[in-house]
Amino acid sequence: MNAFVVAAIAMLVAIVPCGILLLRGTIMDAVVAYEAITAIAVMVLILLAEGFRRSGEFELPVLLAVLMFGSGLVFVRLLERWL
Amino acid sequence: MIRNVAVDVILAAAVALVLASTVGLLAMRDTYQRVHYLTPLALVAPLLLGVAILVQSGSAVSSSLTWLALLFVVVTGPFLSHATIRAIRIREAGEWRLRRDSEAPGDAGSPGDQP
Repeated sequence: MNAFVVAAIAMLVAIVPCGILLLRGTIMDAVVAYEAITAIAVMVLILLAEGFRRSGEFELPVLLAVLMFGSGLVFVRLLERWL
Repeated sequence: MIRNVAVDVILAAAVALVLASTVGLLAMRDTYQRVHYLTPLALVAPLLLGVAILVQSGSAVSSSLTWLALLFVVVTGPFLSHATIRAIRIREAGEWRLRRDSEAPGDAGSPGDQP
């Protein structure tokens, strides 16, 4: 287990406060927590791919980063007017 | 040896930043304050992570893909934060523009004020 894997595990711990906020906050708090979780997930996937030396798995965080922006905008736009 | 120490220090800084930001997200009072804690999480920590991988791997394929993913996070993060704050404002006030006290609620204002 190298430093990258340890950092990935430590970053996963950071999802816990976001999960608490997601469950207990308002709906807009939940959106903010969702955005934080997706940013953390991108970093965790990068750290794991680097930690396990699997270059093929670097495509997953690239895709997730693109989808994070689109899905975040869709959520925000829907919550702005219609939900 | 020095490279490993540098990578460890940079990764520790990134993890500490992410942990502190998420605790800040949880501790703040309202959503406007919480959005501020997205910035270090989505802007500074990915840059630190990219630097750590650059120090570790040099100019390998993994570094370029890492920077591509982190570039998306860094560039789109502020846009997403702005859209979130705008949505919160519209949900609370009906529109995102600041309404002056002198305007009546039904006053449409000048044509240039219309969205």
